[in-house]
Amino acid sequence: MPIEIPKDKWPGSVRKVTVGATAAEGGTRAKTVTVGGQTTMPYLQYEALTPNTPVVAIEIKSRKPEDWSPLLVETWGDAMSDPAQWAKKAEEAGADLIVLALTLEDSADDAVNAVKSVLSATGLPLIVWGPGQAEKDNDLLVPVAEATKGEKIMLGICEDKNYRTIVATAMANGHLVQARTPMDVNLAKQLNILITDMGLPADRIVMDPTTGALGYGIEYGYSVMERLRLAALQGDAMTQLPMMVTPGFEAWKAKESKVGEGVPEAWGDWAARGIHWETLTAVALVESGADLIVLRHPESVKRVKEAIAELMVTA
Amino acid sequence: MYIIGENIHILSDKVKEALTNRDREFFMDLAVKQVEAGAKAVDVNLGPRKKDWAEVFPWIIESIETVVDVPLSIDTTNVDGMEAALKTIKKAQPILNSTSAEPERLEKIPALAKKYGAKIIALTMGSSGIPVEADARVNIAVETLIPHLMEIGFNMEDLIIDPLVLTVSGCQQYCPELIGAVQMLQYSWDPAPAISVGLSNVSNAVPKENRPLINRVYLAMLMGVGLQMMIADPLDEEQNDVIKWIESKDTSTPLAALYNKIAEHTEAGEEPQIEDFDLGDPDQAAIWKTTQILLDKVIYADGYLNQ
Repeated sequence: MPIEIPKDKWPGSVRKVTVGATAAEGGTRAKTVTVGGQTTMPYLQYEALTPNTPVVAIEIKSRKPEDWSPLLVETWGDAMSDPAQWAKKAEEAGADLIVLALTLEDSADDAVNAVKSVLSATGLPLIVWGPGQAEKDNDLLVPVAEATKGEKIMLGICEDKNYRTIVATAMANGHLVQARTPMDVNLAKQLNILITDMGLPADRIVMDPTTGALGYGIEYGYSVMERLRLAALQGDAMTQLPMMVTPGFEAWKAKESKVGEGVPEAWGDWAARGIHWETLTAVALVESGADLIVLRHPESVKRVKEAIAELMVTA
Repeated sequence: MYIIGENIHILSDKVKEALTNRDREFFMDLAVKQVEAGAKAVDVNLGPRKKDWAEVFPWIIESIETVVDVPLSIDTTNVDGMEAALKTIKKAQPILNSTSAEPERLEKIPALAKKYGAKIIALTMGSSGIPVEADARVNIAVETLIPHLMEIGFNMEDLIIDPLVLTVSGCQQYCPELIGAVQMLQYSWDPAPAISVGLSNVSNAVPKENRPLINRVYLAMLMGVGLQMMIADPLDEEQNDVIKWIESKDTSTPLAALYNKIAEHTEAGEEPQIEDFDLGDPDQAAIWKTTQILLDKVIYADGYLNQ
């Protein structure tokens, strides 16, 4: 007897968002990245094809970070002291985009120079994060946005407490924003409402619902993303945005990946464990509907991209 | 609708201040105002008062009973405070608010209610918290709360079950389930237990200006499934209008007709239909959007009305 697999047909869909602009589009990128566009839950290819492959960004910093795991320092080596070099290596490692995180030590000039050097070193689309303190974020991101007008950079990180200045400069200079909320569907939707109320078109927002690493709350992050995606497909316009998450940041904060000493021997090889931690965190989030994943270790990038390729198989 | 007036509540700054000053007049006035507005009972929630319960509970009861004759609902987690209040009460049969199905509370509070002949509000909450699903909440009532009360020989007519309203801002998936719980509880036992809810909990953590609308729309849904008792603000005139319209099936104005429609659809186990709403009318559009968040169809956000 033939079995008919029931198929859901949803009234809503996720918006498509494009990061980066080529010369023809007013920027200097060699290529752009488009995410979103889904019309069904993740990877149910028999219901509807996933229109855009989820992408992986590699996170680099404007200055060599002091608090990253020694495993990451060993892997990236001297390139960590030069964002242009680091970006090049990240592109070689398979990144679809670069995340450049600015630091508290940067002046506005330092920030602009770092961003420009990364733009010259690679043709990939760029995401730029402020150091994470409201006032400093604004001091750095506004000149960066102005100096890169038309590049369609994604500026981050907009949060409930600090989004107006970043959104305003994104609007004025043709950029996008990353809208982050702390693992809460209501707050995620509210921030999208506030940002679009300012006049930024919804197709220039990617929402970042925040996540936890494997063992550190990933299940909450997973549920929030699942719920947001279900709402989007049901037609809730203010949730119909692609989602990005930062499993690299989260996973490398976890003791299991960050340190190799003073942990039980049964935990096994440190390097293998660290990469597993980041990869497993990331893949779970890809399956919950993440469109853009920010990672730190090149080996994790390779593995996550392989997993994505398998999920995209349609037959 | 039997309203237990909620306004004497320690979370209110004015109440807090009046208590600090032992301002008898303030509490007498607030009790009278609620009863005059239609409250059939008055809830008294001054917190646990761990240090001064022996003085505060008798004082507040005595003050309020000086001016009103209605039942007082003693709303505290402090069992000693409850008993001190019960000893003071001279007028109407009081209500103990509340017990839950947690063993420690269930052991002490119903026994206290029985000893003093008080009614009791029993929450459908066990040691592992408040279940989301309607039937799981009904199960707590029929498998734990009611059997325990029967075992101690409690007068079942004095039992009021509260299936627990949670806020649409953060516990949205609970909102439609609570409607189901109110409906199912009425068929869960013979005779049907009285059911009460804390209505305004549905809009906890919601910006102040949006709270009354959410309360009213939820109330219409709950009245549709037969709610006859609640802890609520009896001074909310627009809420009182909704009660009046639904109780008298008044459909003489568009809003009255609309709230009746919402109640009817909910009673029939249906969702309100968009055709029932004149979306060109901002009031009706706001009510429509509110039904959608309360039924968990659209994700709640503080700015949901502007979406």
